[in-house]
Amino acid sequence: MIRIAKARPSWCHLPFNQPLGFGLQRSLLIAALVTCSSQALAAGDDREALLKRIVELEAKISRMDSIERRLRELETTAVLSDPETYVSKVEIFVDDDGVEHPTKQPGSHSVVTYQRERVYRRQTINEKIEDALSGDASSRVQVGVDAAITMQYANQQDGDGGDADGEFYQLASMDLYFTAELAKNTIFYADIVGLSGTTPGSEIGGLTDINGYTARLRENDDQLNDLSLREAWLQTQLFDQQLSLTIGRIDLTSFFDGNAVANDETSQFLSDALVNNPMLGLSENGAGMAGVYDPKNGFTVKLGYQQSDSTATNLSDSLFQMAEVGYQFNPFGTGVGNYRAWYRSNNNDNGGSLSGYGLSLDQKVSAGITVFGRYGEAETLAGDDDEFFSGGVQFSDGFGFNPNDVWGLGFANTVLGNDDEETLFEGYYTMSLAERLALSFHLTYIEEEPDGADDFSYLVPGFRLQASY
Amino acid sequence: MFSNKRFVRQLQAVFIGLLATVSLNAQEIKIADPASVVVIVNRDSNDISFMDIKSHKIVGKVFLGNNVNPHMAMMSSDGRWVVTGGTRANKAYIIDVATLTLKKEIAVGFAPEHLAFSPDGRYYYQGNPDGDSISVIDMVSMSVIKTIEGLAEPLNITFTPDGSKAYVANYGSHWVGVIDVSRHELLKKIHVGSAPALAALDPERYLGGIKGVSNVSISNDGRYLYAADGDLGIVTVIDSREDKVIKKIQVGADPWRAYMSHDGRYAVTANNGDETISIIDTQVNEVVATLEAGPEMMGINFAADKAFVISSTTGFLYVYDMKSLKAAGRIKIGHVQIETSTTDTADAKLYLASSTDNSVYIIDAKTEKVERVANVGLYPWGTHILDSKDNYCH
Repeated sequence: MIRIAKARPSWCHLPFNQPLGFGLQRSLLIAALVTCSSQALAAGDDREALLKRIVELEAKISRMDSIERRLRELETTAVLSDPETYVSKVEIFVDDDGVEHPTKQPGSHSVVTYQRERVYRRQTINEKIEDALSGDASSRVQVGVDAAITMQYANQQDGDGGDADGEFYQLASMDLYFTAELAKNTIFYADIVGLSGTTPGSEIGGLTDINGYTARLRENDDQLNDLSLREAWLQTQLFDQQLSLTIGRIDLTSFFDGNAVANDETSQFLSDALVNNPMLGLSENGAGMAGVYDPKNGFTVKLGYQQSDSTATNLSDSLFQMAEVGYQFNPFGTGVGNYRAWYRSNNNDNGGSLSGYGLSLDQKVSAGITVFGRYGEAETLAGDDDEFFSGGVQFSDGFGFNPNDVWGLGFANTVLGNDDEETLFEGYYTMSLAERLALSFHLTYIEEEPDGADDFSYLVPGFRLQASY
Repeated sequence: MFSNKRFVRQLQAVFIGLLATVSLNAQEIKIADPASVVVIVNRDSNDISFMDIKSHKIVGKVFLGNNVNPHMAMMSSDGRWVVTGGTRANKAYIIDVATLTLKKEIAVGFAPEHLAFSPDGRYYYQGNPDGDSISVIDMVSMSVIKTIEGLAEPLNITFTPDGSKAYVANYGSHWVGVIDVSRHELLKKIHVGSAPALAALDPERYLGGIKGVSNVSISNDGRYLYAADGDLGIVTVIDSREDKVIKKIQVGADPWRAYMSHDGRYAVTANNGDETISIIDTQVNEVVATLEAGPEMMGINFAADKAFVISSTTGFLYVYDMKSLKAAGRIKIGHVQIETSTTDTADAKLYLASSTDNSVYIIDAKTEKVERVANVGLYPWGTHILDSKDNYCH
């Protein structure tokens, strides 16, 4: 702030004693002063013209004052100009005398402390409101909903008198998710699933579920009207977030046997044989723990265990253990590929354990085409191993009617140790109707070859309407 | 008519004045080599810091004024000036690098953010996203000579190497503006893509807000432009000779922008919608790799045959091997919010602004060792090095 208090000619009516906070105003005043002084010194006989000029300058200065005032008003009403105050974490260095230093000094040690800072950050009212809302939202429990309706029709192709022939099936599924951040890098998650209706699998009687929504949840095949806790766990991330530990009621298939294009019944294939490897041998979710080490360099290592039988009276009698290594790379520059190998072991009723192993891969062969495959074997009490393989292809990124549409073709073959065999083909097309709404059309062919009984097959067309919010 | 005596006296006065000026300037030179410093934009302390690249010491700061909130800074190609837009002051600021003095404040449009110099350094285009305009500042007269209107949230400006045209990314629309630099006029609008036919079923997504084109990235030879569109999830390739769309490449969801690798071989998009990056081979204009990344990615730097992706809120840099096109780990900076980074001209070190702890982190691209330079200013928002190939802002 500048105040000018020099003596001046009596005819020079400039507001010398007013505070001058406006840069341009000050410049003009100085210019006026110079003009006044030089002209007063020069002659003095042109006083009338000078006075007129000064009056004009005064009017301009007055107008600038008015503009400055309006600007201030605008700043304080339309935007928030108050100094912003926030607390920041700072690292300081404290010496033996307890004196703080901003940088490392001899004999000092590092201390992390917190400090209030006052800054001149001008924010609009909208920004303020957005900050407040996002801060509020992050401290709340987040809720998500996935709802799906599947409608399927079974038409028997081979064999006679199947219960499912000519029948329609409808299943409504709803997942309610809860997520809360409990601490830094620690979350709680719960998933409650409600199922109502029927699926063809209950009457076809195949080796795998023809509708993956009911996998690892179904308790009886006839009629579903259940509300179940699918998952409820705590997850924390350690060692620079390279190791994540999840403990609680978990679905181990969410952590193991992943696949980029054949691992999600809500957006990809509907048949469970094209969602997970049946050789995993997991019939239901249970209490357990999963650890995932992911240094983000392509390698992943996973270890986990889970209670495999909810009727068991202790964990030791129903212990399902699993390990997996995964590697992501770009072979020959063809595209990104994910390759996984897993091994599992679980207790059995005889007190021994049965093991299995499997592979899962997905490989991009171009920007919008990804091929996938799975293979697995599992020991059985009968003697011969169960065996499974599957494969297929997914098309995306412009291979459909709309840019976000996805479609795929897949097959799966399951052969049990007792020579029962199932072969399944599925094709689907998923249309992305809106960001949170997708409609899929599915056509599945399933052929069952039970040992010692007649073969039969079904063609199962259907659709899936999936909403996520 | 001047008498000889009077003329000599005046000459003496001029000579003494010149001497005094030269002497004063010599004393005030604070940065002799503009390539020796990192320019740091401090949003909350409203100043621009200059850090010596070798010693990592702050050699000076230029205060712009309270509530200025500078957003991005750039040095002129001759290293003489640093310019910045004061988002909350609606002004552009020109700083004399040698003396670290504020040379000029110029009133521009509403909420100035990102900016660019013409290759010859004559014009400074200041984008005013909230005012839907670009203020054209002549660096000779240091004044606004024209305001280019009719844009839609102009977020970034890219000049062609010959300086004849500038391309304006409009985040509030799905087109790229072509500016005739000789006349500073909007020549044409290049439509980068259309919403899918089913968009009518999703009014909340397409009408609730728009994530259009945030930047137009240019190939090293200036022939092709890569414009990522957030809503459409595509990168549109434009031939700059004809200003014609030649290809639309589907990438991940909500790509922020395409970042060009220094050898020009790849354009990499940070897809914040699905937390991936898409690597586009610019020789065939196809996505050759889609790799997992982190949330809220703010920038990508290239050095030592690696790409470093800034995940702002997680405090991680995700690292990718650009030879094998695979993930190569990540670097933890800390529980801080990291913003944007510049790379030195040797492609050896990154200078990363970390807003919440008022620091700049120096990352050795080869060894991935991290060094912290604290107290560079309040809320450092971005960094800049003369002639760096990674000079960008949010």
